[in-house]
Amino acid sequence: MKSFFVFLLLAATLLNSTVLGQKIPSTWEQSVVRIDVNRHTFNYFQPWSRRVGASKKFGLVIEDQAILTTANLLYNHTLIRIQKGGRGQWAIGRITWIDYHANLALLTVDDKAFWDGLKPAKLASPVPDSGPAELVRWNAGRLEIRGLNINRLQIRKGQLTFIDMLHLELDSEINGVGWSEVLAVGDQVIGLTISQSRNKCIAIPSSFIRSVLDAQAADHYRGMGFFNFFWQPSENPSTLAHLGLSGPQRGVIVTKVPKLPGDENTLQPKDILLKIDGFEIDTLGDYLDPQFGPMMLENLATRNHWAGDPIPMTIWRNRREQEITYTLPKADFENELIPTAQYDAPPEYLMAGGLVFQPMNIPYLKSWGEDWLRRAPVRLIHYKGQPPTKERPRLVVLSIVLPDPYNIGYQAYRFLVLDKVNGKKISRLPQIKEAFAQPEGDYHVLEFEQGEPVERMVLDANQLNDATQRVMFRYGLKEDSVINE
Amino acid sequence: MLRIIFFVALRTIRGHLEGVLQKIVSLLLFRAVVLGGILVGFVGQAAPERSVVQIMVFSQRPDWDEPWNWMPVGRSSGTGFVIHGERIVTNAHLAAWAKQILVRRYQDSRPFQAQVTFIGHDCDLAVLEVSESGFFKHIEPLPLGNLPKVRSTVVTYGYPAGGEQISYTSGVVSRIELQNYTHSGRSRLLAVQTDAAINPGNSGGPVVQDGKVVGVAFQGVPGLENTGFFIPPPVFQHFLKDIEDGSYDGFPQAGIRVVPLQNRAQRNFLGVPPHFEGARIDALFSDSAKEHLQKDDVLLQAAGYSVAQDGSILYEGNQLHAGLAFSLAQNGESVPVRLWRDNKEVAVELPVFVNREDAAVGNLYHAPRYYVYAGMIFTPLSKDYLSTFGRDWLTTADSDILYELFYRRKSDPENTRTEAVMLASTLAHPVNANMRIRGRVMVDKINGVRIDRLEDAIRAFSETDQAYHTIKFTGNYGFETIDRNEADTANQPILRTYRIINDRRL
Repeated sequence: MKSFFVFLLLAATLLNSTVLGQKIPSTWEQSVVRIDVNRHTFNYFQPWSRRVGASKKFGLVIEDQAILTTANLLYNHTLIRIQKGGRGQWAIGRITWIDYHANLALLTVDDKAFWDGLKPAKLASPVPDSGPAELVRWNAGRLEIRGLNINRLQIRKGQLTFIDMLHLELDSEINGVGWSEVLAVGDQVIGLTISQSRNKCIAIPSSFIRSVLDAQAADHYRGMGFFNFFWQPSENPSTLAHLGLSGPQRGVIVTKVPKLPGDENTLQPKDILLKIDGFEIDTLGDYLDPQFGPMMLENLATRNHWAGDPIPMTIWRNRREQEITYTLPKADFENELIPTAQYDAPPEYLMAGGLVFQPMNIPYLKSWGEDWLRRAPVRLIHYKGQPPTKERPRLVVLSIVLPDPYNIGYQAYRFLVLDKVNGKKISRLPQIKEAFAQPEGDYHVLEFEQGEPVERMVLDANQLNDATQRVMFRYGLKEDSVINE
Repeated sequence: MLRIIFFVALRTIRGHLEGVLQKIVSLLLFRAVVLGGILVGFVGQAAPERSVVQIMVFSQRPDWDEPWNWMPVGRSSGTGFVIHGERIVTNAHLAAWAKQILVRRYQDSRPFQAQVTFIGHDCDLAVLEVSESGFFKHIEPLPLGNLPKVRSTVVTYGYPAGGEQISYTSGVVSRIELQNYTHSGRSRLLAVQTDAAINPGNSGGPVVQDGKVVGVAFQGVPGLENTGFFIPPPVFQHFLKDIEDGSYDGFPQAGIRVVPLQNRAQRNFLGVPPHFEGARIDALFSDSAKEHLQKDDVLLQAAGYSVAQDGSILYEGNQLHAGLAFSLAQNGESVPVRLWRDNKEVAVELPVFVNREDAAVGNLYHAPRYYVYAGMIFTPLSKDYLSTFGRDWLTTADSDILYELFYRRKSDPENTRTEAVMLASTLAHPVNANMRIRGRVMVDKINGVRIDRLEDAIRAFSETDQAYHTIKFTGNYGFETIDRNEADTANQPILRTYRIINDRRL
């Protein structure tokens, strides 16, 4: 009897995948592809050197001969290869659209034959916030489909950006997840994975993907917007009473409004946010989303809204309710004092007489390793999160000094924030070049921020070019500067 | 980073000190050698050990997180020696926070009570007195010697762990340099490195050469073998001279940053003649320095010592940082300096003072200041306070707090607070039950008043007529609000509930 059941089980398993020896292609085999990315990797401590790296990830065939994947690891690529069916010939892929803040990209393959046998997958919208799901990916030439459980939808910082947006969290025991594997319920895609930590897998939900793709197709997409203010919960009734808000506790309190160039929004510290986009905000900063239930208010900046969209807000200010319109600023690394990221460009530097200047940005600070927030000099970390000003939109550091007779006495200095060169304020590398064109007599005078280990250096202006050439030769630099336009 | 350790023999110190020092004990290779009778001939004078005393200290450190509380009583032991005037010299780190100090004479089991009369935390030295008569009978004070030469031999005397009897070890003077004195954490003074075994319990013991004290054993570096440090005569003589007027001031600083002036272009730019040496004054920190010196002055001479291009002076045959020349003066004295300024040589008398505003030194002198209001515990930001974050406080503390403590005074002096104030924690009570921020944050303003020191917080709470107190924190932490009448009413019950006798220590 026992062997009979084993036989039945085996037969059922075989019938599930073959009919008379012929394999039936799974829907996912026709929709999930492998992506192989070759790209430059950079060492920000030696910005002139570059290495080659390779990454493997996955993509999903969608309509209009497009392949959807996450934007992660596509930056600085030299070649993108795409493979269907988990084995065989690679086709050359091409990025048709990419947005690092949304962490989404569309690829295509120009070879028409590639699309034979491929079928667009369906993106679920809305996505479920609980229940079982499946992870689909190619593994050693076979389609791997593994179960996991949807835990919740949550707002968290995006993988490649500084803005908060909707993510899907799943419980997962699967190893090595986070390479844009496809997550599905039934025959519908519910998201693309972006990371896994311990037994938690994080994904971009397809409802978000759908809204971005639709807006992009309709030419409405102007990039991701975000709420450029800090707020705190208002659970403390004394705080609301202090601000004169009576009745039931509600709303959250704006605590800080950093100023961005061109941002004319009028929110102020101590405003109480009562409603955003028509949704009432509770004391924890949640609103009741019609699809997902309680969600953090940041989702209202990315929920079918894009940079430049006007968002109606009801606020409590000066002891009365007021209606204002908040225009979503565009998420742009250019507007940060210490940019969160730099994609599709090599690290910038300028070497002059052995002194290596670099823009201060998070990739540079991450050169101190995984624990960079603790290991990088506090003097530098201190600038993170500070707003740019008109006078100082960015920072430049003297990163290292390549020893040469020209710079004797300065070799030990590094990681100094530059203030002025020849009396001119420095925020970006081209300004150093401009300042070097106007020496103070026979000298270049470099001033560093107050409190740095040294506040002034002087260089021989007449010998600078010779020294630069000599250092380039001795240290193998092909260019004395790389400055991205 | 090298971790310097003290040579206190640990008995039962509890709290976070326990782990640190016990680890040190286990790390160190004990190789004390009891030389016994051969020592008399070795040092060429009758029995200095008779002037060396064993010191047992029962101490209690404050709890900076709950500053009205004290940590459990710890017991440690070290060494001291008798000098002229019936005084005992030992280390400050041994005597700090002492509740009771007992001293034992050589080969005498009777304990005598001693009191701290002077303590210099920056130089890690203390003077003890014993009031009981007869203690100093038949004890000859040890004469004080001069800075020993490198490669010369010295002998340490002490009561290190591993036995009850006095121990002697000998070694050579390996090098003489400015070192960080770990007890204060921020002072950089002259110190002598020796390969004589200096172990836990040697702290405060004399280092002897030719029958004279040429050092006071005080710290070492775990992981480095045959490396111990002692405080040399210029430092302990400075300390003894300082206390002659009945109070201890400390080691002054020039209040300047001297950096090498080795780049030819920079030397030419400043017009320094080729036959001149000198280092550049890069920054001015103290009021005295700002009054008498200028940025880009070239320091040619300090206290009569010629300053080299790398900022060093030649002191007793040792190339040392020029900062030493200023620290050798007493607080308030003027140090003659010669400068190259505006293409000519200039002589200046620079008054030098002890920097008393450096919170990073730590609150080693007094029990921590605090103020408790409506359960909120306010206390000044200091290195000692941060140590309550745990052994890894340097990596766990918020970078904004570290910046405030260690950097802002130099980078942004205009906005530096005299004493940054922390909301250390909040004692739970219905009046503060809804407060979200409950501790480990720095206070920016209270009721709109910028908090530059603890007294500002007290005044801001007491002088408002608003119905609600508003406490704003630095960074992105926002603010909290509390009903003023409810807070006033709850204040005393909270103090009673948590057995806090005084709501403040100022």
